[in-house]
Amino acid sequence: MAGKKFDLSGLMQSKVTWAVIAEALILLVCFIIRPDFFSISYQPSTGMLYGSLIDIVNRSAEITIISMGMTLVIALGGTDLSVGALVAVAGAIALKFLRWDVLTYTTPGDYTVYPYILVIAVPLVVCALMGLFNGFLVAKGGIQPIIATLILMVCGRGVAQILTDGKQFTTGYSPFRVIGQGSFLCLPMPIIITIIVVVAVALFTRKTAFGAFVESVGVNPSASRLSGIKAGNVILLVFMITGLLSGIAGLIYSSRIMSNDSNNAGLNFEMDAILAVVIGGTNMAGGRFSLAGTVIGSLIIRTIVTFVYYFGIVAEATMAFKALIIAVVIVLQSEPVRKYFAKRAAMRRAGAKS
Amino acid sequence: MSKKQSLFARLTNPKYIMVYATIGIFLVIYAVGGMLYGDKGFLTVRTFVNLFIDNAYFGISAVGMTMVLITGGIDLSVGAVASLTGMFIAYGTTILHLHPMTCICAALVMGVGLGLLMGWVIHYLNVPPFITTLTGMFLARGVCSLISRESIDIHHPMFDALASWKIYLMKFADGKWVRIKPIAFVNFNVILFLVMILIGAFILQRTRFGRNIYAIGGNEQSASLMGLPVGRTKVLVYGFNGLCSVLAGISYALYVKSGWNLSLQGGELEVITCAVIGGTLLTGGVGYMIGTLFGVLLKSVIPALITFNGNLLSWWGKIATGLLLLLFICIQRFVVTSTGRRK
Amino acid sequence: MPGKNILEMRGITIEFPGVKALDGVDFSLREGEIHSLLGENGAGKSTLIKCINGVNRKDSGVILLDGKEINPSGPYDAMQLGISTVFQEVNLCPNLSVAENIFVGRQPMKHNQIDWKEINRRAEELMSRFHLDIDVTRPLSYYSTAIQQMTAIARAVDVQAKILILDEPTSSLDENEVQLLFSVMRELKASGMGIIFITHFLDQIYAVSDRMTILRNGHLVGTYDINELGKVELVTKMVGKDMDVIFSLKRAEVSPDAPIMLKAEHIGDSSRIDDISITLKKGELIGFAGLLGSGRTETAEMLFGASRAVHGEIFVDGQNVSIKTPFDAIKSEIAFCPEDRKRDGIIGDLSIRENIMLAVQSRKGFMHPMTRQEQTELADKYIKLLGIATPDCEKKAGELSGGNQQKVILARWMAASPKVLILDEPTRGIDIGAKAEIQRLMLEMCGEGVSVIFISSELDEIIRCSNRIIIMRDRAKVAEVDGESCTQQDILRIIAEGAA
Repeated sequence: MAGKKFDLSGLMQSKVTWAVIAEALILLVCFIIRPDFFSISYQPSTGMLYGSLIDIVNRSAEITIISMGMTLVIALGGTDLSVGALVAVAGAIALKFLRWDVLTYTTPGDYTVYPYILVIAVPLVVCALMGLFNGFLVAKGGIQPIIATLILMVCGRGVAQILTDGKQFTTGYSPFRVIGQGSFLCLPMPIIITIIVVVAVALFTRKTAFGAFVESVGVNPSASRLSGIKAGNVILLVFMITGLLSGIAGLIYSSRIMSNDSNNAGLNFEMDAILAVVIGGTNMAGGRFSLAGTVIGSLIIRTIVTFVYYFGIVAEATMAFKALIIAVVIVLQSEPVRKYFAKRAAMRRAGAKS
Repeated sequence: MSKKQSLFARLTNPKYIMVYATIGIFLVIYAVGGMLYGDKGFLTVRTFVNLFIDNAYFGISAVGMTMVLITGGIDLSVGAVASLTGMFIAYGTTILHLHPMTCICAALVMGVGLGLLMGWVIHYLNVPPFITTLTGMFLARGVCSLISRESIDIHHPMFDALASWKIYLMKFADGKWVRIKPIAFVNFNVILFLVMILIGAFILQRTRFGRNIYAIGGNEQSASLMGLPVGRTKVLVYGFNGLCSVLAGISYALYVKSGWNLSLQGGELEVITCAVIGGTLLTGGVGYMIGTLFGVLLKSVIPALITFNGNLLSWWGKIATGLLLLLFICIQRFVVTSTGRRK
Repeated sequence: MPGKNILEMRGITIEFPGVKALDGVDFSLREGEIHSLLGENGAGKSTLIKCINGVNRKDSGVILLDGKEINPSGPYDAMQLGISTVFQEVNLCPNLSVAENIFVGRQPMKHNQIDWKEINRRAEELMSRFHLDIDVTRPLSYYSTAIQQMTAIARAVDVQAKILILDEPTSSLDENEVQLLFSVMRELKASGMGIIFITHFLDQIYAVSDRMTILRNGHLVGTYDINELGKVELVTKMVGKDMDVIFSLKRAEVSPDAPIMLKAEHIGDSSRIDDISITLKKGELIGFAGLLGSGRTETAEMLFGASRAVHGEIFVDGQNVSIKTPFDAIKSEIAFCPEDRKRDGIIGDLSIRENIMLAVQSRKGFMHPMTRQEQTELADKYIKLLGIATPDCEKKAGELSGGNQQKVILARWMAASPKVLILDEPTRGIDIGAKAEIQRLMLEMCGEGVSVIFISSELDEIIRCSNRIIIMRDRAKVAEVDGESCTQQDILRIIAEGAA
């Protein structure tokens, strides 16, 4: 009994708990306003499930996928600002391979100029390499991650524009459409991809010692190195993973719009991803990370947006609304506030005892 | 006996290396531009002054950003706050028919207030600056879009007058003052930019408040143990940066004569880039206004070069800026390792 | 004639959750005296000085400054009252110039502007008072720890302090620097300042102080004149028990035909260490003696791959190995406890379990993880074996006391079952009881066939434990002496004068 109580108070001080509570509250509000918010329907014609909840998960796919990598980067004590730009790069490359030369292949249609495998593989490889470049600057150059990734953030979109000559390509190639708009087991494809990515990252970090190494390097790089951890390689790998995941998100994004949009694809994704991680309870100073928390953080961000759309609040208010809710979550999670709650809990316990 | 500091020793102080690097690279690029496009008028005063005119709003914001970065913080809200200022002026004068000064005052209250609030949250609630100011950016951007989704033109006699006010640069020839050819002028924005740089430099170098900023960036815990008002300084720095953002917004509104909810998207990173290539360390504790001034010039000379070339896509500008950042980061890295602790 | 008391503390009690950190302690400081504060870690020294400078709030008792009661609310407030503290870790801003570090926050102004000329002039004056002729306009990070320490003292002194508190100022200084500091302290004392001095080095206490106050477990043991109490009595009073533990330690026994475990031939990197050769037998313990900066740590780091040797060869158990990174060293079964525990050893935010399993895991590579149960078993085993004071292995390592942290790091390397163990200052900054225990563990490991390299600044410790002692000076090995037959004087002479 006493042990259980202790767990509970530990839970109240955990940041993830606050994130879960926040998400639950937002959903509750949704439910109160419109009880049908939670309804999920099956559309036999497309073989897909529909509903706001499905939509939230579906639309959060890109951010969730990227923030899996971002969690690891932040656990290392860094941030990766380049992910949004990489999303644009991935889209640009994919569309480039689908259409190649718009002057020769004038109309978009259900075809691809280069083999489909290249359309998928090349963007992913390029993004992974760009991630590796970030990692190289951080690990070997000893440069602060935020500046190192600022470089690709600044010039990544430039690269994407130059790849497509500043043009916006569109395509109608159906296998490509599947990535962002297809379905599998009644669920939208992005959800399936997200689940695969989340499980893969979770297994990779928690079923091997990689997660522990990341946390260790994040807390104390020097001591980790002297304990035999190849800190440099850990950093390289983490940035490469983040690059790769940004590439996956980029493919999903451009498959949704069946086009490339080097100016707006992935715009502010780095911010959303970082927010998702922080709301999920991972400390920006590095160390312990929580992938589950990050997933919830990403869902919170998307729920807010969906909420705004769904209830017909002016769509333009999304940003402001998002800011307000995030502010509340962050303030609740902030150290002084948590300490205050911990103190109150301790006082209540002491009071109960005497 | 007190040992006199020779001018040479003072100038070779390792803390100035980054500033020299910025100025040096600017001069090199400027010289290269002169060699390539000198015949097209790259070396004229007009081209040089235009660097200021086209980038004054970035420069004004960079003044506040430099201070924030020196404390070891970051402010991502500047672009959105500047944009919101533009919306205030545009919506206020054109739709509500208010006097521009009223709108500017409202914007000042908003910008400085938001800055102070963010500073308070960062220091007293211990929320990372990145997250706090990101939220501030969302908030400001959201309010922008709430005001209007359309671009609003600004029409007001006083505002137009201010926007078109200019001083022509003159030279003394044949016994009288004549405008130099090609015609070059400075406008209100340029003057505001230079004045802000001077004010920023004065604050940083000549006031205790400024020195506290450096101390906090060097080691915040030490600063508080030395009895420096850490909390107050940090809050005020973010407030001052809010002021700079609003001034940058005014300057931008004067430049484009309209307000748009999506203007200056990503502006915060341009501003940070200016400061970084001006020698300010994102880790805090190091940075000079003169460096930031040249950082702004350095960043703006690249688009100018691309324009003069005429064949290159403007996207190359982004790539060149990225490469410039890379170069600077490598130099900083080298400087930090070579001037590190010596026994 | 003893001066009058400028500071008097009566019945000071401070409680932290669950512990009485100080229990009714009395303390007094006279004008113009150097008063040492002694006690093991956790005895309450830091708590007492933090009470004086206002970092900690006292629960009961009074503090009288010049007969008037004070209640400083923080170091800054205390400074205004005339109490300046120089903390153990230099608390200055590395990016500011030396001069500015002295004056920041109270810069002299002229026409509402900071008067830089005046700042630099006065800083130079102050530093020359400390016999330092340096360019005060250069950033602090440009200078050595000793000069940084002096800068901190200069700042503390310049505020017209009546009381100066020096918390372990000598722990990162070499012998000359310590002497310089002492001469400054004596000058300040002559000018009437009261100085509270905390150090772990007993010799320094006798070298410089007038009186000493001993604390133990938050209680006052007593205040004594310096010549009232001998070293052994002093230690006995500090520990509260006899030093039997320490004196009963026995050197490791090495049979003459024991195989050579580690052989380093002419390793060096031209800039830090020129050329050094070492052999180490199985089960042998060699000590590295020498001053700070004499190349002890640098050699150890090179053996472990923490810094790279440019030339030379290393053999472990007869095999030529290439050691370029710590990982290579661990593969070759070499282990290394670094000098700076906080920076290079402990991973504070992680649990004891994770800290202990780290080296084993990194040798295996992350693709071959240990299960949670294996980790817990490993951790529990060493917690028990080393007597680490913790409720369970999930406690954050950063929350342990210094001695226990050191044990966790030791456990990390013991778990990796190395053939060669290098310990760089494993006993620094931990109390005497824990020190004795670490030495015992070290010797036990030798008994189990591990070869140990032991680096320490405390000569008696080295002489007591080592089979052989390598003496370093100016980044080179100057002599190798037998541990059994040499005396402290021999070693000191070699350190001071070079090889005979």
